[in-house]
Amino acid sequence: MRALLAAATGLAAALLLVFLATAIGPPEPGTSPKPLLTTIPSAPGK
Amino acid sequence: MRRRASLVLLSLAVFCTALAPLLRWWMYPSFAKIPPGQYQEAVLEAKPATLLDYGTLTPRKVPRITIVQTLKGNVERSKEIEASAGRDVVVWDALSYMAGPDGKMVSAIPERYIFDAHTQDPVHATGEMVDGDPVRRTGIEFKWPFFTEPRDYLYFDAQTRTSAPIHYVGPRKFRGLDVYYYEQTIPWTKVPFPKKMPLPGFDASTIEKTFGTSRWYTTKRMFWVEPVTGAPVNGEEIHTEELRGGTLAANAPDQRLVVFDGHVKMREDYLRHTVDLVAANRIKVLALHTYAPVGSAVCGAVLLGLALWLEARGRRRDAACRPARDPAGEPVSAP
Repeated sequence: MRALLAAATGLAAALLLVFLATAIGPPEPGTSPKPLLTTIPSAPGK
Repeated sequence: MRRRASLVLLSLAVFCTALAPLLRWWMYPSFAKIPPGQYQEAVLEAKPATLLDYGTLTPRKVPRITIVQTLKGNVERSKEIEASAGRDVVVWDALSYMAGPDGKMVSAIPERYIFDAHTQDPVHATGEMVDGDPVRRTGIEFKWPFFTEPRDYLYFDAQTRTSAPIHYVGPRKFRGLDVYYYEQTIPWTKVPFPKKMPLPGFDASTIEKTFGTSRWYTTKRMFWVEPVTGAPVNGEEIHTEELRGGTLAANAPDQRLVVFDGHVKMREDYLRHTVDLVAANRIKVLALHTYAPVGSAVCGAVLLGLALWLEARGRRRDAACRPARDPAGEPVSAP
């Protein structure tokens, strides 16, 4: 009985972790303020 | 104490074992997607190139033509489309800005590309366009899907506004990465004039009507694609554009006037930057798709084995410590 309870706790923790991570989701920043480029950049990101 | 430890280990074993399929088939499909707010730029160069001098209407050799390509995720628009489409959508506003050797604009072609963030399938919504012309894309553009397959894909060509197969040629090694190499050839095709050209006072949409001259284009497009991320780590184009017939090309041989001719390659610093970026993203995708689920399953198996071993050991010790009983059930005591 104790073994069953331990296994159920492990399963519940795994489900909780995954559902929580999915609900929060990855961070999604907004639209970049940088413009579409009409000049030649000297280096990546500059 | 040992019994308690084995129960804790059993609990952890079930946690890890359950986590493995959940990571692979629940979290990976929802987390592996193109972020809607991505901003990316690439600089490509043709050195040397042939470029039409619009002042004298003669093609001339120039040391360098630069194409600056920017992709910018439009998060607000993607949220609006997601609300009606019911799936994760990415809206890329793109600009291909071509500059001459003096840095002045040769052409600027904006695009809006709308696609499914997970599968890369095109999503059709108002605003999908190339150079202001509404289009309805099929196939892919700019990027391949995650876990790209070694097969032909349909690739959208912005100049012709149509999709055509891009052929899988074979595997290649590119700067330490295993990649798939693809090629697409667009035969000579009549295409619209870009709306932004270095022709002050001319309306691009009426050039053909006014001068009887049309614009033609052919290209051979090459991509080296990292298959896990589906991201191209290198791209090249052997690209030629001509003006044909009418007043503008009347004095050219066969009435064909070269507007642009060159082999366009990614600039070295952008090539290095792209390879580093794709290599880092490859590890992130593989971590969620393979490393974490497999690691979790292995961890679960080891913990389960350890829990069973501890439990068995505990039971053996209990049995050894229990006092022996005679057949009548009475404890045997020493005389």
